[in-house]
Amino acid sequence: MSDLAVSDGAPDAPLLEVKDLKVHLRVADRLVRAVDGVDFKVDTAECVGVVGESGSGKSTLIRAISRLMPNLQVDELSGELRFEGRDILRMADRELRTLRRSRGFAMIFQDPLGYLNPTQRVGRQIAEALSPDGRGRSEHRRVLDLLDEVGFADPGAIARRYPHELSGGMRQRVMIAIALASDPKLLFADEPTTALDATVQLQVLETLYRLHKERNMAVAIITHDLGVVAELCDRVYVMQAGKFVENATAVDLFERPQHPYSARLVELSAHRLDFRGMQQ
Amino acid sequence: MSELTKPVAPRTTVLGRWRRTLGNLMGTRHGAIGAIILLMLAAVAISAPVVAPYTPLQQTSVSLAPPSSEFLFGTDNIGRDVFSLILYGAQSSLLVGLGAALAALLVGGTIGILAGYFRGPVEAVLMRVIELFQTLPVIMLVLCAVALFGSSFSLLIAAVALAIWPMEARLVYGQYIKLREREFIAAARVADLSTTHIIFREILPNAAQPVIVQVALDASIAILIEAGLGFLGLSDPSMVSWGQLLFVAQDYMDTAWWMSVFPGAAICLAVIGLNLFADGLNEVVDPRSTRGMGGLQ
Amino acid sequence: MLRFILQRALYALPLIFVIIVVMFTLLHLIPGDPVQSLVGDYPVPPAYRAVIEEKYRLNDPFVVQVGNYVVAVLHGDFGFSYQNQRPVLDLILERAPRTILLASVGFAFAIPLGMAIGVVAGTTRNPGTDKFWTTSALIAYAIPTFWLGQLLVMLFALRFGWFPTQGIGPLISRAHGFDWLLEKARYLALPVLAFAIHEGMRFARIMRASVIDTLSQGYIVTARAKGLSRGQIIRNHILRNSSLPLVTIAGYSFGSALGGAVLLETVFTWPGLGLLMVDSIRLRDNLTVIGVVIFSALAVIVMNLIVDILYALLDPRIRTAG
Repeated sequence: MSDLAVSDGAPDAPLLEVKDLKVHLRVADRLVRAVDGVDFKVDTAECVGVVGESGSGKSTLIRAISRLMPNLQVDELSGELRFEGRDILRMADRELRTLRRSRGFAMIFQDPLGYLNPTQRVGRQIAEALSPDGRGRSEHRRVLDLLDEVGFADPGAIARRYPHELSGGMRQRVMIAIALASDPKLLFADEPTTALDATVQLQVLETLYRLHKERNMAVAIITHDLGVVAELCDRVYVMQAGKFVENATAVDLFERPQHPYSARLVELSAHRLDFRGMQQ
Repeated sequence: MSELTKPVAPRTTVLGRWRRTLGNLMGTRHGAIGAIILLMLAAVAISAPVVAPYTPLQQTSVSLAPPSSEFLFGTDNIGRDVFSLILYGAQSSLLVGLGAALAALLVGGTIGILAGYFRGPVEAVLMRVIELFQTLPVIMLVLCAVALFGSSFSLLIAAVALAIWPMEARLVYGQYIKLREREFIAAARVADLSTTHIIFREILPNAAQPVIVQVALDASIAILIEAGLGFLGLSDPSMVSWGQLLFVAQDYMDTAWWMSVFPGAAICLAVIGLNLFADGLNEVVDPRSTRGMGGLQ
Repeated sequence: MLRFILQRALYALPLIFVIIVVMFTLLHLIPGDPVQSLVGDYPVPPAYRAVIEEKYRLNDPFVVQVGNYVVAVLHGDFGFSYQNQRPVLDLILERAPRTILLASVGFAFAIPLGMAIGVVAGTTRNPGTDKFWTTSALIAYAIPTFWLGQLLVMLFALRFGWFPTQGIGPLISRAHGFDWLLEKARYLALPVLAFAIHEGMRFARIMRASVIDTLSQGYIVTARAKGLSRGQIIRNHILRNSSLPLVTIAGYSFGSALGGAVLLETVFTWPGLGLLMVDSIRLRDNLTVIGVVIFSALAVIVMNLIVDILYALLDPRIRTAG
């Protein structure tokens, strides 16, 4: 396929397209094929889930796609990675930064405390991520709007807080606000609710879902929790030992899992889902 | 984190582990270079009487002679051979370094163990004592001790040890705090083993490696302090030491650069050797400490 | 915040008290005539002897003597230096500004130097650059300051004649304004250079380790995900967070230096507190020795207090924890 053939606006071109991605890591002198030949795509405004147990390579996958890998331990990183048709794997740093700053992709993480700078006020950390295109609004105003958008009742007070002064759920909302600041077309979420209390998990998921719909923002969510997938996703990839064993719509996965591994995952989560369904 | 899950300290493998540590140490570049430097210095110190062309007291016919084939590092103001003096100086420097570090380990280790193992008032009082010692600048502490009690060789070692034991105490204390919460210690307690048994058989072998690293670093600090005292003219006058040579050199800087350059380089070499050795050991003991991130992307 | 400062200050007070007591006790442990150990190697006429015995209550029980001494020190009376024929406090106050000048200028160079090298070595993606700086830092650390001082003197003062070999320059200078400053700078240059190289490289080692630790933090990944440039990440997220360990160590070593950079002052015959200490030791002028030690302990305690405050300013987590 010619690189130039895929144009930005082509109706059937996916927002993100990954072909034959391989990420081999060197861990203590051993070769680990964390991601081993994976095809993956996310369409505009679509919500995609990647499920798998811990160690299945899903975190490495998302770090590689978002190009946030720690470099030196990578033994091999190959394949094709296209965002809006542009090759991000071989993209220059400067171009990549532009993409992250504005209308590109952003990311939220599992442990919001560790991923927020402890010595900076929350407002400043959000302001730092704002896209250069402010449409005439002041930075402060935009920060407050973002905090409002992720569901804070008193954005002014929150902006002046430090991360350690917030609860886990609040921190994750702040992380989401930071991610939204660049007005991304695609949001990567790496186990966004795993570190949170059960009650807070649902709130954060609802917020994510609302933003996904309101902003027409594509979301790629990594999780070991099929419940999360059931809440949010249109389509699901099931990952095992660095490979995708199934790619299906969320409904199909739950009703007709094709691969025995997926079937087991679905079965295991069934009880919890029932329980959650009763709660709602 | 596999140690965390082991219920009992792997006591039987302690010897094997040390042998492996030593093997790995020679495998790291730092460790190997450090060990070679130290072995070389030790050999020089031991064989000084045999190797050195002159004795420290022997005066040759020429004073302030520049380095030549006869006097490798030149001669000093009273005609002593600087090369020989440096060889002999290795003895006192290494002895003070090793002696003070071991003495500091003994004192600091004991106090660290006591503070770490017993909680409550004992811990509080000992920590305040450590803090008190750390409030005084190291060099002031040593100078004070030497000023008040003199500077015979053994007092010198004691004075240097006095200055560096708090670091050792803090480290040992820290190790204990960490280890006493570990599961195998709890297991030993449940098994009703005696306190001394827990301290010496369960905790000590596991705390030993970082402590050894600190001892090597302490020895390098001790050598620097000893050199400093010598440079101030306060070391034992009956022993040749590198610092003392620099003390004399201070008055001949305009005429005899060799009196300063060679003894100083010797101090440097010893300190570098000990630090490389410690770095290598650290690398083996705690592989995380070496940089794996490859900087900022 | 004010409560935090007061709390720290109150914590430090007993420390000063204990140090004074310990020092006086040490003085008493010196074998021989107690009067002589107070006065040093100085002939004591009977009249002096009586004055000293009276002043330090040498015929009273030890507890009274200690109490007496502590009260005197707290009133600023560190005793009389018979060697110098002046009160010890006078000597200290005369010498302290020179030491403070040397230490401050030295640190003004050492801290930025150490931070810069630490950040470069820690963030570089070129292993060679890192290796170069770590090796340089190790060598600089292993070079004793006084030897470095000698080398600098031999090279820049004796060989090239660019700088004076020792001292702080004429007491009464004919130069004014900028010339005066230049004259002072010439005398400061070599001691400060030696100081900055030695301490700066030590700080660089600490800073590098700290930077590498910071780099492994999650918020650096967040910063990269935000699309910030290297410079922005270093300025906004690495510098401040990595400086925390340096603040502690540099603060302590600044405190120590304020109490007298003994070795450096000796090499350059810089007549500060360190040189006073060494001279007093040689003359067995013990009251002065103890005076300087108490002063330097005070300097460390005050610096530690400042470090605590600085730390709280830099790290909001500590501020709220109280």
